[in-house]
Amino acid sequence: MNNLSPSPILSRIHFREAGTLLGLVLIGAVFAWQSETFLTAPNIINILQQSAINACIALGMTLVIISGGIDLSVGPVAALSAVLGAAMLVAGVPVPLAILGALAVGTVCGFLNGALITWGGLQPFIVTLGGLSLYRALALIYTGGTPIFGLPDGFRALTNGTVGGVPNPVIAVGILAALAWVILNKTPLGEYFMAVGGNPEAARIAGVPVTLTKLAAYMISGLMAAVAAMILIGRLGAAEPTLGTLWELDAIAAAAIGGASLMGGRGSIIGTLIGAIILGTLRNGLTLMNVQAFYQLLATGIIIIVAMLIDKLTSVKQG
Amino acid sequence: MPPRLTLTGINKSYGPIKVLQDVALTVQPGEVHGLLGENGAGKSTLLNILSGVIASDSGTIRIDDKPVNISTPRDATAAGIAMIHQELQQVPELSVAQNIYLGAALRRMGGLLVDRAGQEAEARRLLAPLDASIDVTAPVRSLRVAQRQIVEIAKALRSNARIIAMDEPTSSLTPNEFERLVQVMAKLAAQGVSIIYVSHKMDEVFRLCSEATLLRDGRIVGQVPIPVTPVRQVIELMVGRELASASHTGFATLREVLQVRGLTRGRAVQDASFNLHAGEVLGIAGLVGAGRTELLRLIAGVDRAESGSVILDGHPVAAGPRARIRAGFGLVPEERKRDGIIRHRPVTTNIGLPAMRRFSRLGLIRKAMLRTRSEELMREVGLRPLDVSRPIGSFSGGNQQKAIIGRWLAADTRIFLFDEPTRGIDVGAKAEIYDLIERLAREGRAIIVVSSELPEVIRVSDRVLVMREGRISATLGPGEITEANIARAAIPAS
Repeated sequence: MNNLSPSPILSRIHFREAGTLLGLVLIGAVFAWQSETFLTAPNIINILQQSAINACIALGMTLVIISGGIDLSVGPVAALSAVLGAAMLVAGVPVPLAILGALAVGTVCGFLNGALITWGGLQPFIVTLGGLSLYRALALIYTGGTPIFGLPDGFRALTNGTVGGVPNPVIAVGILAALAWVILNKTPLGEYFMAVGGNPEAARIAGVPVTLTKLAAYMISGLMAAVAAMILIGRLGAAEPTLGTLWELDAIAAAAIGGASLMGGRGSIIGTLIGAIILGTLRNGLTLMNVQAFYQLLATGIIIIVAMLIDKLTSVKQG
Repeated sequence: MPPRLTLTGINKSYGPIKVLQDVALTVQPGEVHGLLGENGAGKSTLLNILSGVIASDSGTIRIDDKPVNISTPRDATAAGIAMIHQELQQVPELSVAQNIYLGAALRRMGGLLVDRAGQEAEARRLLAPLDASIDVTAPVRSLRVAQRQIVEIAKALRSNARIIAMDEPTSSLTPNEFERLVQVMAKLAAQGVSIIYVSHKMDEVFRLCSEATLLRDGRIVGQVPIPVTPVRQVIELMVGRELASASHTGFATLREVLQVRGLTRGRAVQDASFNLHAGEVLGIAGLVGAGRTELLRLIAGVDRAESGSVILDGHPVAAGPRARIRAGFGLVPEERKRDGIIRHRPVTTNIGLPAMRRFSRLGLIRKAMLRTRSEELMREVGLRPLDVSRPIGSFSGGNQQKAIIGRWLAADTRIFLFDEPTRGIDVGAKAEIYDLIERLAREGRAIIVVSSELPEVIRVSDRVLVMREGRISATLGPGEITEANIARAAIPAS
């Protein structure tokens, strides 16, 4: 039987992503009208550069949210990965090894979160709220509160380089986003994320490895936090133990604007990417227009709430 | 005296499914009125309309001959209607008095503070004639179910309810507790409170009710004076035909595939042992709370047994749902929304979930293959509409059930475990589900069907296990499967 009409689930996802993209275009149009420099190639690259770190964190956050959880600890996990990675780099550990070490730190933090949530049976919000303090404290204790300076040029070149004019971090996050998209949409793990977030008990009865699925989500989130940390310290040339403050909120905002349901079970990688770019665009554009930082915050809040309202209205219409 | 409650012309549909059609009901003051019907007959819907939880499409409700408009639970309370649900709606951590005054706290100091002492005194006064042994300051969690029910009744009295609807109030009571409830109901009736008593237990209805209204497939099929109507006639009205005695699917072989030995979990399931043959449909009958669902979940590996073993083809199978699924078990749960479906995901992934490995290559899902196979399976089981890319939540209950059956077909499941396979499914789809069960049996799969509907058990089963208070109390073979035999083994000796 040939079914020519688009299926509701597909149209629903694409509908939502198209909506987010439309939002981005509208915001962009306003800024392009208000500022001559906004729609220039260097500025657009600048926006992508500024959005890369949040996008990176938000990719992991999206998978966690889809699987029915939340990860409030991403900022401090990034900080801990950053200072430990930086310490290795400064101590002369070869750059690839030091990066791998830092990524391992982030993944282990994610594993700890996941272990407490699955085997410990604790609520994700509380576990990662605890992690938010714990990992930050470890980073501060380890460094004594002072930044680690003197990262080797070989490492910094990785994050400050460009390929065809596009900054390496933007390319790296692009590749990670493609991977995350494949995982979510093309692999059993992706289906498991959506099943566990959509209905954990039904998923368990259907034979989904619920525990491993949740662990995977938190480990990916920790890994992404570590990647974001590497990008940031490469660009700054130093690792501050206080870096990553409030990253979790930006990431949740990007995921939510992009269509992830905090109830779990639904979300989109493309949506999240656009969400992160919307937030980056907003900051960039308002700065270009010389709008006070306070108003930037206001605009961010309004965008999040408007996105959720539109979501609510359209989803009611669609039944 | 005018009737306490008169319902006329109540209609309710969900899409094309008519849940209630032109339902009328009359209850006199001080009457205990039975509302009888099989599962899915519309009893709960009617109660929900009466208590303002859902709105009827049309119809009128009159109380003491005055029309009332009930569109919210608040309206129902104001009209003097109280509901006592099967699952008691209480806050376990709050005290008895606090629960009785939930949402209507007594105030003092001009409304600033809750008048706890006043609430407790009032609660004590309300409870005194019902069960004076209940401590009004104790958290509700510390009470037995029977006492919690009494608390609900006290709450109903607190809101001056003149009509109390009880939904299967005795499903978890011991015989002694039941007697206590009978006394309480007699007191309420003497005060002029009307009680609508929903149950499918004939013995209780005959004991308690003076009048009963019978519902079948959303229509009233009779209002009978209970004391002078033969039980058999009531049941026949309820199920809509003459009682079946023996019929079975008839593909059972002698090849034993499954041995269950001594499965035990707390008091819910105690020392359950039986065998199952290829092509056989084994029914499990019993009262609500007898441990049937729990036994099925132990076999499916969804809950862990404290002791006992599940042996497939002579080999013990490891615990846990994944190991059991790999070995060839599949659970079709009763609560599809809660335990069966991933609502927002398409039929395809709901089907493919247990067998993702089979539908993927090099770590990627082969979507085209999953889609083709899903379509093939869903054509066989008659999914309507046949669109496997739609979210499963957009299908009717019967079609969701077909998809869950398809899920296990895709996973090559050999032992199908059905829990109330036609619960919440309309009559037409029911027959299709029975046909599917028969087809599974014909293909040599082994099937267990837990059901509260005796006609269903009798229709599909080659053999019937009856459970009572956590134990298997009887095994009925061909020729012995009758409602009388099942009922005798199911009802606890008191």
